[in-house]
This record gives sequence, C-alpha cells and structure tokens, in this order.
Amino acid sequence: MTATSAEALPAARQMTQAPRRWGAPLWVGALLIVLAFLVIYPLLMLMFGALSDSNPIVDGFGAFRPSAKHFFDVLANENVHLAFFNALAACGGGTILAVVIGLAFSWIVVRTNTPFKGFIAGASMIPLFVPPLVAGVAWGILGSPKTGLLNTALKWVGIDFRFNFYSMSGLIIVFGIYYAPYVYMFTASALRNMDPSLEEASEVSGASAFTTIFTITFPLIAPAILAGSLLSFVVMLGIYGVPAALGAPANINVLTTYIFKLTAWSPPLYNTAAAVAILLMVVTAILVWAQQKVLSGKSYATVAGKAFRPRSLNLGPWRWFTFALALVYLFVVVVLPTLALVIAAFRKFLFFKDFNALFDWNQYSWVHFNSVFDNPLTMLSIWNTLKVGVITAVAGGALAFAIGYTVNRTTVSGRRSIDLLATLPVAIPGLVVGVAYLWAWIGLPGGLYGTIWILALAFVARFMPDTVKALSTSFLQIHKELEEAAWICGRGLLGTIRTVVLPLAKPGVVASMTLLFVLAIRELGSSLFLYTSDTTVMAVLLLDYYEGGNTGKTAAFSLVQTAILGVLLGLTTWISRETTQNTRFN
Amino acid sequence: MKRRTFTKTAVLGTAGILTGGLPAWAQQEKFGTKEEIAAAEKEGGLTYYTANFAETEQEVIKEFNKTFPKIKVAMVRAPGGQLITRIKTEAAAGKLGADVVNHSDRGLMLELQDLFQDYKPPNAADYRPDAMVSPKLWPGVTLGWAIAYNTQLVKNAPKTWMDLTKPEYKDKQIGQVVGPSGGTTWTRIMFEKQVLGDDYWAKQAALGISLFPSGAPTSDSLVRGEISIAPLLYNIIYTKIVEGAPAEAIFAPEGVPIIPYADGITKTAKSPNASKLFMNWRLSKEGQSFQIAKLGNITSLKEPPAFPKGWDPKVIKVWVPNFEQFEKLREPWLAEWNKTYGYRQ
Repeated sequence: MTATSAEALPAARQMTQAPRRWGAPLWVGALLIVLAFLVIYPLLMLMFGALSDSNPIVDGFGAFRPSAKHFFDVLANENVHLAFFNALAACGGGTILAVVIGLAFSWIVVRTNTPFKGFIAGASMIPLFVPPLVAGVAWGILGSPKTGLLNTALKWVGIDFRFNFYSMSGLIIVFGIYYAPYVYMFTASALRNMDPSLEEASEVSGASAFTTIFTITFPLIAPAILAGSLLSFVVMLGIYGVPAALGAPANINVLTTYIFKLTAWSPPLYNTAAAVAILLMVVTAILVWAQQKVLSGKSYATVAGKAFRPRSLNLGPWRWFTFALALVYLFVVVVLPTLALVIAAFRKFLFFKDFNALFDWNQYSWVHFNSVFDNPLTMLSIWNTLKVGVITAVAGGALAFAIGYTVNRTTVSGRRSIDLLATLPVAIPGLVVGVAYLWAWIGLPGGLYGTIWILALAFVARFMPDTVKALSTSFLQIHKELEEAAWICGRGLLGTIRTVVLPLAKPGVVASMTLLFVLAIRELGSSLFLYTSDTTVMAVLLLDYYEGGNTGKTAAFSLVQTAILGVLLGLTTWISRETTQNTRFN
Repeated sequence: MKRRTFTKTAVLGTAGILTGGLPAWAQQEKFGTKEEIAAAEKEGGLTYYTANFAETEQEVIKEFNKTFPKIKVAMVRAPGGQLITRIKTEAAAGKLGADVVNHSDRGLMLELQDLFQDYKPPNAADYRPDAMVSPKLWPGVTLGWAIAYNTQLVKNAPKTWMDLTKPEYKDKQIGQVVGPSGGTTWTRIMFEKQVLGDDYWAKQAALGISLFPSGAPTSDSLVRGEISIAPLLYNIIYTKIVEGAPAEAIFAPEGVPIIPYADGITKTAKSPNASKLFMNWRLSKEGQSFQIAKLGNITSLKEPPAFPKGWDPKVIKVWVPNFEQFEKLREPWLAEWNKTYGYRQ
C-alpha cells in the first residue's frame, strides 16, 4: 500500500515535461470540448427546461423567463417526498443486497477452488442482460400475491405461506439480484488483479482466512466495492421498468415512475420532469463527492511490477458448500425468472386455474415467436441495435479510456473538472435526458438527426459515467512504478500507454466496453426521442409490445434479446480471457 | 363460441363486400383519382407517426398495402406525450419527419393544427361533427370503452356500468386505469360523472379498486386473473378474446364513451399524394370496417358500416364528450377523482 509518485524520478519527469508543456493543456481542452458537447450542452437544455415553461427549440431562447417555480412545486409536493423516500429505500436496500451477493460471488469465483467456476461466473451475469421492464414482468409472473407461479406451487403443496413481490421488499429483492452483477464486475476484476502476497503475508502473520478476507482482501478492493455499489445505486435510481411492474400494483411510487407520469400526461410536463431530474442529479453529486472523500488520500495500488497468479483458496470439502450456495443463487436469479419468461413466451395466455394447468401442453406453442418474427421491424431493430451497440462500445470505450487515464493517471490541471463532467449524466433518468438530447442535437448540421449515429452519440454520453467508473478501477490498480519504468527506458507517453497501461488494463477495458454494449442495447429513454422508422431499435420495439399489453410477445422478444446478448457476451468473455492470459503470462 | 364465430364472419363479410370483388384498379380509384394514385406511387411511401398500439397500426398498414402495394408506410410509434413533444421539436427545427400523424388527444392536436395542411376525405360528410375538433384533423381511429371480465373467475358477469358499484365485486376484483393517465381514460371518467351520477365514483371506490397506470397492464392482469373485471378500451381486450383468452367484453346500455382520434397530413409532408391516399383509405367505409372487424375499434361515421360483437344499435348509444367541457373540467374533476380513489398524483 505504498504511494510512489512521479516526483521520486525527477529525470523521468524532465524527459516527459517538454512535450507535455503544450500537449497537456491541449489534451485537457480537447476533452473538455467533447464533454461540453456531450454533457454540458444537453444539461443546459435540461436546466433551461427546469427553469422555465418553454421548449428551447419550439419557443427559442428568447422566450426564456427564468423561474424556480417547478423546483418549488416539486419540493412542496408531498407525493414527490414519498416517491423520493421510496426510491431511497428501494435502491438503498437493493444496493446492500447487491453488494452482499456481488461480493460473495466474485470471491467464490475468483479466489476459491469452488467447482465449475467458469459456468457460475457466466451464468451469474445473465440478470444484467434482462431489460428492467422484463425483469419486473418476470417477477410479477412469479411472485404476484394472487396468481404468481410461486404461490400457485405453494398452494399445490399445501403450504400457507405466500410471496408478495408487489411490495417494497419485492422491489428491494429484485433490484438486489438484478444489479448484483454490477458489483460483481467491479470486485471480480479487482480481486483478479490483486497481488496475493498481501494476503499470504497476513496468513503468515497468523491471521485466519476469515480475518484475512475482512481485514486485507475486502479493504484492498474498497474502491471497486464503492464504485460498484455507487453505480448500482444510481442505476437503480434511474430504473423505471422494475418499479413500474412491481410497485405500481401496490401503489408504491418512486421518482422514475413519477417522472414517467409527468412525461406521459396530456399535456406532458417535461419542465417539471426536468426539475425532478435536476434534484436526482444533486443526490448523485453528493454520493460521488462522498465516494471521493472516502477514497481520497489512500492508495489502492495492488498491481505492482511483479508477475503473480491470482491466489485460489483451497476450501476442501467446503467447496461443495460454496458450489451449492452458487447453485441456489443461480436458481433464484436465473432459472426462476427465465422459466417464467419461457412459460410466458410459449404459453398462449398466462391464466392458471391451478398448478396442474401449468402442464397442459396444449396451451404451449410458438405463436408469440412467429408473431414477433412476422413483424418486419423485428429484424430491422436487431440489426440496428447491433450496429448502435458496436459503435457505442468502440467509441464510448475509447473516450472512457482517454478520460479515465487523464483523471486517474495524470496530474494535469483540469482533470477534476473532466471527472465531474463525465460523472454528471449518471443520475438523469433516460426519459428526461432523451428529450434533452433531442433539444440539444436536432439542430446540428450535417444530417445527424435521423441516423444511427445520433443514437450512438446519445448512448456514449448517457453511459459515460458507467464506463469511466468501470475503467477507473483498473487504472487505480496499476502501480505508477510500471509507467515510470517505461519512461526511464525511453518510452514516450503514448508508447507507455500502448505497451504498459493498455495491456494491463485490457480486462477492464473489455469489461467496460461489454458493459457499454449491454447498456446501449437495453437503453430505451434516449432512443424513444431519437429513433426514426429506419433506425428503430430493439428497446423501442420491446416497449411497443409491452404497451400493447402482450406479455407473451414481450417475453418472446426479450428472450431473443437475451439470447443475442448472451452469445455476444460469451464471445467478449472469451476474448477477454484470451487477452488477459496472453498479457500476463507471455 | 358459435356466436363469436358467426359475428366475426358477419363483420369480416361486410368488410369483404365493401372491398372485394372489384379489379385492383377499380378498388384503388375509390380512394383517389388516377393522377393522384400515379403521383402517390411515384412518391413510393410515407412516414406515419402514431400514438396508437404499434401492432394495431401495422395491421392497418398491411391491409392498406393490399390495395396499394406500391406505397410503403414507415411507422414511428411513441407514447402520446412523448410523441407530441417530438413533433413540436422536430417541426420547430424544420425537421418534421411525419407525413401523417395519428393521435388520441384531440386537445393537444388542436394546438398543433397549424402544422397540418387542409385536407378533407371524399366521405367527409359522413362523419359526426362532434367527433371533429378542426377541419384539418379527422378521426381515422375511434375507440370505445367496454366492460371486460375474466370468464373463469366471474360467475355473475356485470351487464351495466352501474353493476360495477355492486358489493359482490368488492375487494380488488375490479381494476381500472387511473384517471390522469390520458385523454382516453379522462373521457370515461367524464362519462361516469356526467351520465352515471355524481356519487358513482364514491360508490365504486368504496369497493376497493386495483389501480393501473395504463390499459395494457390492466388487460394483462385481467387475462391472468389478477383482477376479475375492468373497464377497458374494447380494442385492448378484443384481440385477446379472438385469440382465445379467458375473457369477454360487453357494451353497457348506459352508453359507450368513445374517443375519436385526430389525424392529419402535415404541411411539410414529403409525400402529400401518398399521405392523402392513406388517409382516404383509413377514413373510408372499407378502412373503418376493417378496423372494427379486425382490431376492435368503433367508428365516428354517422352510419357505422359494421358493429362490434354484442353491439345492438337499438340499445347501445355512443357518448361523445363535449369538447369544451373536456378541456375545462379536466383539472378539477381529475383532482376529485384522485381524492376519491386515493390515487397519489
């Protein structure tokens, strides 16, 4: 846990300072311009909306009459207070559960000799691909108090207990299990990159394995735990689908469902929705500030200039216990909801008179899949989604790498501003930020509006915080001495990044790009305002099916989406594993 | 079941009589002149913005293309409020992509009427004047409220709107869409207070009602058995009934609140001729018959070319809201509705 800095090597600094004298300000300036375009400009539009009654494009900036009326209205509305506290309770509880599950899983997969770890690791990521709306629908099918499959099964076996997922505890559980992969991705990557000699030193000093985990292992990956929990919390804050499907029947409103109402009412109240969105941003800013405060002044570098192999703890016969735990978890988070979706996708209607009706095979058919693939928009939306996903992952990954490196690996002035700007979009609900992008970019010259590129641009901007934070964890773990060694050997800045930083951060880069790809494929809010008939994407079509009241087609299409994502994720996991092994051991 | 098959056959038969049996050119010329059709085919297609269900509108497009296969219709679908915002913003930026717009909120469309060109279908005189809010905007789609129930759960099915206040349906058996969800639900709520009585809401709310944000989850819950009974737009439940869902729907004798849409051709339409043909076809007897038979819509034609199943024209009367009251009463009455049903807006 040493904090070696570049000051220890004055010669190296002198070598690199001359080109940096002009290069650094130009670089920071360029990044700030890009961020201003992607973040500040749309946010200004949002502020404009929140502080007035006008639409900046329709009414023009001349009509801007600043007023804090919307903020006061929102702050004084007791329903907003209730929605706010409900959101904090659901997302707070969900985050705690996500951390427990994600951390336990990453430890089991990375640091133990539990059998079939590869399978467990892959399967545990499945909840991440499921659109929130579909997750909500799946758990409604399973855990509705009246007709839920779980309750039908309990009734059949004569047990009086009943699940009720149309409740706050239902929301917390579903949030927790679906957003645990966020925590897992961060902590697994950190555990994989951690030098095991620190744990070995602890055990040599007489500490038990249990003590080592809680005093060495978890504290060392604290940035990853914090980053993962912060990200999952703010992502949950912005989710509409789960509370819409599970909260609405119990009249539990959260901020996103309130915002959706504002945008869906006739006439839509975007200006008020923008005010609520700004309040959400304030909450996020406080959380980010708190995270930085906790982490400031500490070094978490655990990847040093020494080759190592991640340590695997021999659990002995207990490895079957961890395996059983993993299986139970996978059954609950993957098998049950997937089964619910499969039943919904293949069954003509979801009415079960009793448990035996579940096995009436006459009720099952391919009718929903046939209908989905009869729709000419299906293949178009799949193709468009893949194109947008790839463009977003590549462009967003490159930009996030540039930002992450500048913020975490340099001392240039202005890097804090870059960090702040890159974090800002995280808490703006998709539906609101979608209209901000429309307001901001519709007037751009060059015919960008109406193309696939404007969707990619929106996704890059919207998910920049997720990608940058995911990458930052990797950067934080690469010891400065490795770069300094490269400088001493005469490498320039770009050469050092290419030969040292990029290879070491490659697992994180691939993970971030994968995350970006997944998020882009699921994103609805920004797509809704920017898609055209030629650029329709899967998320929009999924909403069409859901809004049409057709659970069967919604489930069938979401299974198609999940399958596509699963194949692509398997591919990137394989690539990531190959490149990591090549980097580390060749 | 036999009755259902008979009615379906009868309605489709009516549509078939209206559209079939003529050579292709003769069918086409019912909706435009030779010159208009040639010009429309040269344009090749149009862009259609709709707030209606995507699948429903795709069926309409498919049927239109049976008569006009050379005119492709590209659809952009978004929920009502979002669609209006998009139209306003695109128009202000000079990039309005729509040739034809189809929207359920006549009030909001009226505010945008300057974006639309003068247009009148060939059968303009056949439409009810109270279904119109502007001479530029036409009710290409008309929806109506019915009472739906799960046939596996309800032994004694409701037959009137007033039945939905009976104690036998207490304890969350009835579900309904919340008042402020949009113009369609507001129409039903207005009907309840004006026609069924001032105390109708209070009587019904006292039973304990499950509330839903929109019609789609309500119909889904009804089919699944989460709720047993629900007022629903007929087109939401109709296609499910046809496909064999354990549900049925009736039109109540006190009246059927209807929602005429407001559809128009934009001034900036890139394909004005194709747009005109599309509108002419949708508003024609053939287009309306198809929507009644296949999609469960109602019509705003004075003399309906067909009736949905169970609709006895001697008994069932449509109820169209007074547009002035529709705008004026909305805010205070919705506040009262929210309070009565304990809905937090």
